[in-house]
Amino acid sequence: MNSERVLACMQCGKCTGSCPEAGKTPFNIRMIVRKKQFERAIEEGLPWYCTSCNTCTIRCPRDVKPSEVIIDLRSALIEDGRIPATIQKALENTFVQKNPWGKPRSKRADWTEKIDFKIPHISETKEKRLLFTCCIQAYDPRCMVIPANVSRLLRIAGIEFGILGEEEACCGNEIRRMGEAGLFEELREENLANLKKYGVKEIVTLSPHCMNTFRKEYGDLGIRVLHYSEVVKGLLESGALKLKGHYDKRVVYHDPCFLGKQNAIFDEPRALLAKALGSNPLEFSRMRENSLCCEGGGGRMFFDVETTYQRNSEVRVKEALEMGAEVIATSCPFCVMNLEDPATEKGISVKEVSEILVEVI
Amino acid sequence: MSAGYVLVVAEVRRGLFEERNLDTIGLGRELGLPVSLLLPENVNGVDELLLDRVLKVSADEGTFLNPLVMVSILVKVFESQGQPDFVLFTHSSSGAECAAYAAGHFSAPLVTDVSGFDQSTGTFFKSYYSDKVFAQFKSTSSPTFLTVRSGSFRENVTRNQAAPAVESVGDIAPAEGRTFLEYVEEAGGAVDITKAEFLLSVGRGIGSKDEIPRYEELARAMRAVLSCSRPVVDKLWLPKERQVGTSGKTVKPKVYLAMAISGAFQHIAGMKDADCIIAINKDPEAPIFQYAHFGIVADVNKLRDKLIETVKGS
Amino acid sequence: MEIVVFTKRVPVTQEEELRILEDGKAVDLRKLPHRMNDWDNYGVEEAVRMVEKGGGGVTSVAIGDAEADEVLRRAIAMGARDGFLLETEEVLHDPFARATLACNFLKKEKIPFDALFTGVQAEDDQFACFGGMLAAMLKIPYAAQVIGVDSVEKDHLVVRRELEGGLQERVKVSLPCVLSVQSGINEPRYVSIMGVRKASKVERKVFKASNYADNVKSLIEVTKWAYPPKKEGAAMIAGDVNEVCGKLLGILKEKGVYQ
Repeated sequence: MNSERVLACMQCGKCTGSCPEAGKTPFNIRMIVRKKQFERAIEEGLPWYCTSCNTCTIRCPRDVKPSEVIIDLRSALIEDGRIPATIQKALENTFVQKNPWGKPRSKRADWTEKIDFKIPHISETKEKRLLFTCCIQAYDPRCMVIPANVSRLLRIAGIEFGILGEEEACCGNEIRRMGEAGLFEELREENLANLKKYGVKEIVTLSPHCMNTFRKEYGDLGIRVLHYSEVVKGLLESGALKLKGHYDKRVVYHDPCFLGKQNAIFDEPRALLAKALGSNPLEFSRMRENSLCCEGGGGRMFFDVETTYQRNSEVRVKEALEMGAEVIATSCPFCVMNLEDPATEKGISVKEVSEILVEVI
Repeated sequence: MSAGYVLVVAEVRRGLFEERNLDTIGLGRELGLPVSLLLPENVNGVDELLLDRVLKVSADEGTFLNPLVMVSILVKVFESQGQPDFVLFTHSSSGAECAAYAAGHFSAPLVTDVSGFDQSTGTFFKSYYSDKVFAQFKSTSSPTFLTVRSGSFRENVTRNQAAPAVESVGDIAPAEGRTFLEYVEEAGGAVDITKAEFLLSVGRGIGSKDEIPRYEELARAMRAVLSCSRPVVDKLWLPKERQVGTSGKTVKPKVYLAMAISGAFQHIAGMKDADCIIAINKDPEAPIFQYAHFGIVADVNKLRDKLIETVKGS
Repeated sequence: MEIVVFTKRVPVTQEEELRILEDGKAVDLRKLPHRMNDWDNYGVEEAVRMVEKGGGGVTSVAIGDAEADEVLRRAIAMGARDGFLLETEEVLHDPFARATLACNFLKKEKIPFDALFTGVQAEDDQFACFGGMLAAMLKIPYAAQVIGVDSVEKDHLVVRRELEGGLQERVKVSLPCVLSVQSGINEPRYVSIMGVRKASKVERKVFKASNYADNVKSLIEVTKWAYPPKKEGAAMIAGDVNEVCGKLLGILKEKGVYQ
C-alpha cells in the first residue's frame, strides 16, 4: 500500500491548491486524503478525475503522496471490478493486445512503413540502444510521426539503434496509475525479459510517460533511460546533427508533467527549440514546475467524465493566442493530442518538438 | 426419403411478413426445387406468386415462432408433405432460435448465417470472424437446415403466373415449456446510442451549434439516432451521452453515417465495427475515408439540406 | 439455482488481416491473442449475479484444448464456483458435434443444473446455435437472445428476448432450460490480474472429451476457406448534390435502415 502516510497529513491544502482538477470538477484531493484518514467512504467516481500530474505529491510538505493515495483507491475499485466502462475497456485491451486501444500487436511496428530506411530489430544492433515506441505513437496516425522523426534525427547523426517491434509491450505507466497493479507487473515482466534477452544497454524513450516508469518503477535496470530530447541535445552540441536555417514561427513551449515536474527535464527540449528557432521559445505564465497539466495522464485519456468542464488545454491555447504564438510546441504525445483539439479550432498548430526539428535539418 | 422441395419458414412480426423472408425464398429458388412457405394465419404482405405452395398453421405468431412449437409443426409438415431437402429460416433472433432447436431435435445438419451458395460444389458460404473469411460448408445428410443472411438472396425471387395451392397444417398446441407473454418496446427516455441500428453522427465540421437542429430534423426524418464526435460534446453542442469514441461510447450500428467527422483515431476506435460506414466530408484527405465503406466529398450542410428536402418530400 | 455456463476461448481478430493457408484448407490463427468469447462473458456475469442474489452456484464449462483453461480461470475470478474443461485437441467446426459432446458429458457426469447459459454466439464462428441444439438434445426448453431476466421463480423464469428493430418479446420458460445470453444484458465486472491469479488457486477439473464421444460427429464439413470480395477503401460516390443524395438514400435502403 502506498497510502500509509495519510495520517501525517495536516490538511494544509497545498495539494488541492495546486491540483489541475480542483475547483472546476468535484475532485478535491485534500478532502479525499481527509476521508482516507478516517477511513470514510469515498464516492466511486472521484478517483478517476486525477491526471497523475503528481503536483500534489511534489508540493506536499509532509510527504503524504496524495497521488499514490489515488492509485490505492483505484486499485480497490479494480479488485472489486467496479470501474468506469471506458477504463475497463482500456485495461482489457492492454491485457490482450498490450496497448490500451486494443490495436493488433502484430501492427505495432507499422509506423516504420512511413520512413524510407529500415530500422533493425534490437537483436541486430551492436550498441544495444533501444528506441521504445510507446503505444499511442505506434498506433495513432497523428503521433506515429514522432518515432519516425526521431529515427531520422538519430540516423542522420549516425547513432545506431534498434526496436523491439511487435515484441514491445505497453510500458505500463498509465496502467499502474489506473490502479491495475497486477497488469502493470505483467507488462513490466514482459518488457524486462526482452531487455535482458537482447542485452539492452540504453533505452531512448519518446514519451515522457514511458521514460518515467522505466526510470522509477522498473527496479534497478542497470540500463540508461533517456528521453530523446536529452540525446538530441548532445548531438546538436557535438555537431553530429546540424540544422539548416531556422524555423521561422513564433513558438511557445508547453512542459509535459511527466517530463518536467516529475523528472526535471526542462532545459533539453528548450535547448532543441532554441537551436531550431535561433532564439529561445516563448514561455507560458505557468511554466516549468508550475506548468498546467493537459489532463491526459493517469488514465484520463480513457475516462468518460460525466459533465464537461473547461479543459486546461483550452486555457493553454487561449494564453498562447494572447501572446501571439503561432505554434505550441511540446514533447509528449498525450499533450499533443489534448492541445490539438482546441488549437485547431483557434487556428494555431501544435507540434511535438521533433516535428519542428525535422523541418530544419 | 426426401420429397424434393424446399420448406421456407416465414418470419412474422405483428401480423406483417418481414422483408428478409425474401432472402430465404431467394435462396430456395437458387436451390432449384419447389418452394413451400410455412406461416401462421392472418399475415399481411405475403406475395403468394413468389411461392409454389403455401402451408398455413392455425396458430398466432407468438406461438408459431417458438422453438418448442416449431418442432411439433415441422413433425406434422414432414408427415403430410414428406421430408424436404432443405428447411430455411431467416438469420434473425427467432429464425436462428427455431433452426437451432429443430436441427438439434432432428439431428439434422445446420449452417447458419448463409450469405452465398455455390451451385457447382453445392456448398454454402458462412461468415467467420466478422466477415474476414468465409467457410464453404457441405452438408452430409438431409434435410439440411439453413438460416439465411438478410440482404443476400432477395434478387433471386421469381414470380409465378398462377397463385399457389394453399394447404392447412391444422391446429398446433402451445408448448408447456415455453409460452409467449407479450411484445415489449425497448424503454424510451434517455437515448442509448449503443442500441441504435442507424446512427447519424456529426462532427465539428458542421460549423456551429446553430446547425444542430437541422441535423436533428434530418435524423428524425430518416429515423436515425443522432450521435457525435468529442469536439461536439466539448463545445456543448450535444450532450455527453451522444459521444462516440474512446472517451465516449463504442457503437456497432448497421449503418454509421458520419457527417463532417474527420476521423480522429479516438473516434474511429468507437465506431469501426459498424456494419456499414458512410462518411461525408469536405476534405478528400480526411482519415475517416480509410475506414468508410462509402465516401462522399461534399459541402456537408448543403447535402444535409438536400437530404431533408428529399426525405420529407417522399 | 445451479447454473452451468458454457464458455469458449476465441482468437481476437479485430483489425487483423487473416491469412488462409494451403489453398483454402485452414485459417492461420497462430499469432493471434485469445480471450473469453465476449457473449460468454455476459453469460457468466448474468449467472453470477443470479446466484449472488438467489443462492446456488455457477459452473463454467469450456470445450477446447488445455489453453482453454484460461477462460475457466476468468469465470472463477468473476464468481463461478467450479471450472470444468472438456478437453479435446480437435477443432469441432460443427456445432452439432459440440452440442452432442456437451449433452453426453452433462448426462454421464450427472452434472446438476437448473439452467444452462451460453453466449448468443461465439466471436469466431458466429454460429449462434450451440445452445439451441443442446436444449433440444436434452429435451428442455430454450430461449435465445435473452436481454433481460424479469423474474426467477421456483419452476420457471420470465425473460425478455431481443428481436429486431428495438422490439423484444417477453416469454415464460420452464426450468430446467437453456438460455443464450445477449451482450448488453448487464455490464460485466472487471476482472483484475490479481483476481485471476487468486482464481488460479481454485482447482479446475479436466475431462477427456474422448470419454463422451458417443454420436459426436459432424453433419456439415468445411470444404474450403475463402476471402470475402476485396474492398479497397471507401467506394466514393460522386456527382452533383441531387445525384449524391439519391445514391446515398439508395444505400440506406439497401442496408435496411431507411424505407
